[in-house]
Amino acid sequence: MYEADGMGITSMSQVIGNESALVFPGMGPVAFDEVSRFMVANAFARRRVAEADEVLGYSLVRRYRETPGEYSEAAQLAFLVNCLALADWHADQNDVRPAVVTGASFGGKAAAVWAGALSFADAVRMTAGFARLMTDYFATSHTDVVTQSCARTAPDRLREILAELDEAGEWYDISCYVDDDFTMLSLREHRVEWLAQRLRSIGGLPLYTLRPPMHSSVFGELRRRAEAEVVADMRFADPQIPLVADLDGGLRGTAAEVREWLLDGFVRPVRWPAVVATLRGLGVGTLRVAGADSLFTRVPCTTKAFTVVGASPRTVMQPRRRVAV
Amino acid sequence: MWDAKFEETLRQFVPFLDDDEPLAPDTSLRDLGLDSMGIIEMMAVLEAEYEVRFRDDMLNMQTFATPGALWGGVSKMVETVS
Repeated sequence: MYEADGMGITSMSQVIGNESALVFPGMGPVAFDEVSRFMVANAFARRRVAEADEVLGYSLVRRYRETPGEYSEAAQLAFLVNCLALADWHADQNDVRPAVVTGASFGGKAAAVWAGALSFADAVRMTAGFARLMTDYFATSHTDVVTQSCARTAPDRLREILAELDEAGEWYDISCYVDDDFTMLSLREHRVEWLAQRLRSIGGLPLYTLRPPMHSSVFGELRRRAEAEVVADMRFADPQIPLVADLDGGLRGTAAEVREWLLDGFVRPVRWPAVVATLRGLGVGTLRVAGADSLFTRVPCTTKAFTVVGASPRTVMQPRRRVAV
Repeated sequence: MWDAKFEETLRQFVPFLDDDEPLAPDTSLRDLGLDSMGIIEMMAVLEAEYEVRFRDDMLNMQTFATPGALWGGVSKMVETVS
């Protein structure tokens, strides 16, 4: 397991001038075949997988292979494990450790581990626990709510669409601010086709429809259960390096703040542009991305602000002349 | 067949196609590494290059499935504009 190197947060001046931040991405769909070789052959992955197996009491690779579904419990565990293995890989590639760490959405748990605020074993238990809880919760609650990503949609155009939803008496909630023109909107499923057509009519692109939905203020009961049923017995520690929260771009400096941040992710939207602003303010110029990312570190607000160095299971195992980040 | 500008643009967004490999009209762009964010980035470049705007029916994943399908869509938009 990674051990914090003692780099403190005692003074902001320590951070300014350091060049890189480690970023754990949100989870996207990953096929087992894309990562299986990494999980069994890469030394960093093998070490993380072995430790996860010990916590889980079963073979994660085998369970992942045998379980259908892009967001199954096994798929989520594999994503967490692989991201942390890729962070280990980054650390091995670079003499200078990133001065700051952050995680977007699902990546928050891995970021907490890297910052020394949560043990790897508890992050594994938390990932499994949250996955089971969400399956149970959304089987009977908010069954008609989805989260729709809206790309290429400027804020003023989005406001027009939201005003139309208001006029129709439809419920909605913004779940994620990805970039100025990229938002994720939670709404009732029967409105998704209308929204998709409306977006296309203005040149916007409806990308993914997430089931179950995420990051909405109406999921208060889910947050309460996550705290009581999953997080209650877990121990948190104060972060050993600056940890930037995806919900507001603020630093989380204590164990209690990290705990609240991870739980608040159920009920508060992700505000990625705020993270970008904070990282810039901390003097970060390079992002080292630990995991396959198809969202946060790819949007213009990120790529215009930083040099982005990606690492995914595929790129680490199959280095090419040109590497997508 | 498409023009050189299209090929040059497309190649920027398919990281798993080597420079010396040909780009066939019916190749799966997804298999070549074009993902959803790549599509968004590429659209912006194509819109600037050809002075068009992807809208309505053009904004579905079939448009971006293969080089042939994408070029068909871009050509149609260019014709409509001119």
